[in-house]
Amino acid sequence: MSSNRVACDAWPRGTRACPLLVMLTLAAPCVAHAQITVQLPIAAEEATPVGALPPMPLPMPASRDQSYWGLRLQVGQRNERSGPEDLFAIGAGIDYQLRGGSIFGLTGGYQKRQNCQSTTDCGHALFGARGRFNVFTGGPTVAAIIGDESATTTIGTEIGFGYAPSINAGVNACTIDVGLPLSVAMLQTVRVVTFVTPGAVWSVGCSSEETPSYRSFLIGFGFGIQQLGFRGLDVNFGAQRILRGATGLQFGVSVSWVRLP
Amino acid sequence: MIWLAIRKNIAFRRARLVARGGFAVVAIASAVGCQHHVKLEEPPGDQIETTLFLIGDAGEPDPRQVGAPLDSLTALASVAPERTIIVFLGDNVYPGGIPAEGAAEWADARRRLEEQIRAIPPGVRGIFVPGNHDWANETAFGLYSIRLQERMIAALAQGKNVRLIPGNGCPGPVSVDVGRLRLVALDTQWWLHSFIVRDSSSHCAASTMATVTAALRSEVRAPGEGRVVLVAAHHPLMTGGAHGGYCGVSGPYRRFGGASQDILSSGNRTMRDSIRSAFKSNPPLAYVAGHDHTLQVLRGGPNVKYIIVSGAGSAGKTECAVRMRESYYVTQHRAGFMRVDIMKGKGVLLRVYRYPGTKHGALAYTRWLEPR
Repeated sequence: MSSNRVACDAWPRGTRACPLLVMLTLAAPCVAHAQITVQLPIAAEEATPVGALPPMPLPMPASRDQSYWGLRLQVGQRNERSGPEDLFAIGAGIDYQLRGGSIFGLTGGYQKRQNCQSTTDCGHALFGARGRFNVFTGGPTVAAIIGDESATTTIGTEIGFGYAPSINAGVNACTIDVGLPLSVAMLQTVRVVTFVTPGAVWSVGCSSEETPSYRSFLIGFGFGIQQLGFRGLDVNFGAQRILRGATGLQFGVSVSWVRLP
Repeated sequence: MIWLAIRKNIAFRRARLVARGGFAVVAIASAVGCQHHVKLEEPPGDQIETTLFLIGDAGEPDPRQVGAPLDSLTALASVAPERTIIVFLGDNVYPGGIPAEGAAEWADARRRLEEQIRAIPPGVRGIFVPGNHDWANETAFGLYSIRLQERMIAALAQGKNVRLIPGNGCPGPVSVDVGRLRLVALDTQWWLHSFIVRDSSSHCAASTMATVTAALRSEVRAPGEGRVVLVAAHHPLMTGGAHGGYCGVSGPYRRFGGASQDILSSGNRTMRDSIRSAFKSNPPLAYVAGHDHTLQVLRGGPNVKYIIVSGAGSAGKTECAVRMRESYYVTQHRAGFMRVDIMKGKGVLLRVYRYPGTKHGALAYTRWLEPR
């Protein structure tokens, strides 16, 4: 049992859940799942794109006349987890932004255990599909406090599917996740965007061996720069914590490029 | 004091980030953004051939207030009236255009139009373009309301060179040639109107969508070297405002083509596709419009170099707009107008004025649409 679990067990019964989401996010995870313990070297949520690669903000709005193709490169690192090794992942993807709003993407990548002692089983591929929907895109809201009249607030929703074969011996990982991302972009030329991506992820069995199915909550946050030098180039820095067990903190960088006509 | 404390706190956090090293790029970019000073161009007046002021949706002047944007427009246009044109980009009379004489709303409708005509200084040419509200707010009286507005403008002009184009409820295009400038005016509500759009007294040169598109294709091909073609209409080809499905809780509904006035409705798309197709072989420099009550300068794409939305002519009606990937400049919840200076020989300068201004004044943005 991890030290985090011990710390949580020391709380009086009924007060195990931390009172604030922020505390849950930034402090060591305190939400204990009595019937589930993460004994696998890599949990399914850590192995598929939703947990292996860093979170990103909702797409920047664009013309309703056009639908744009884009490319994406992501690098993520998960540290402080209960498993024996830190996890490093790299992924690449292709995105399609439909009429200035929602974005649909496919991702492929590879996750590697760092300091792995094994000679044969130190990494696995990962694949994902994701839809991100800009539901409301509007004015400054919170950015009005600092007087930025060009700010844009976007509230949306997202759904993702992930698959990672052979994350452990004979075990495949399959996940479905949903989220309610929020982002605020500011400034006129180079846009600085901050975002938060709360969500939930379900691990579903897709192996020949019986594997536990469970649900976890997660929260991601970060900041980035939109239109960095080129109108279609964005760079985002994100961190994410799965509110379950000792899955550590994942952080990383995403670089995306949208092809404008 | 609180603001100073916040600034110190921000500075401390930024310094800490830089010290950590991992986010140096963000710190640099945010510093650049915070200290960003736009270079505002002010060319000498004797190099300007023609000055065009673009103001849209100005049909709701508040009779209890004087000031921006109409008074500021008058002051700027008075500097060189002989080379100045003011274009009112539609929605000249809120909420329902000019009613039949004798209606209770008639005097108020006249007052709204009169305020705008009064803002045109003597010697300055004034052009009004019809908008959806001028077509009796998209009702069956629309065709007759737009004719009444044309007649009322002529009556109120009192010797000034002011007119509504295209007139008589026709879709246009109607071209105005002044030096290097060719201004092509369209009545885009004609495309979107669900009721009668022509009758026995229409006599329009083009009266079907196909013939209007063909005529527009011909008009944007201006003869001569160094011509600057601007197309003026009420409905934009692109917008980050409410009519583009952004801003407010109605955004998702509008995105699914809820109303003909919105970008993604099928009728609006047909109109925009037709206009863009007419631009294909001879892309104009800019398509200027109102409709969304904001100020936006947008990259137009392959068929038109710039799309300009200048619909913030009524201080009481300003709205939200989002910055899109195509946006060069966006301001929201501010009244204002734009100015286009066509320089002698070469060069077209765009200037954006917004109100209330900042401590640096009302001029907020400049861009050379055609380099000097």
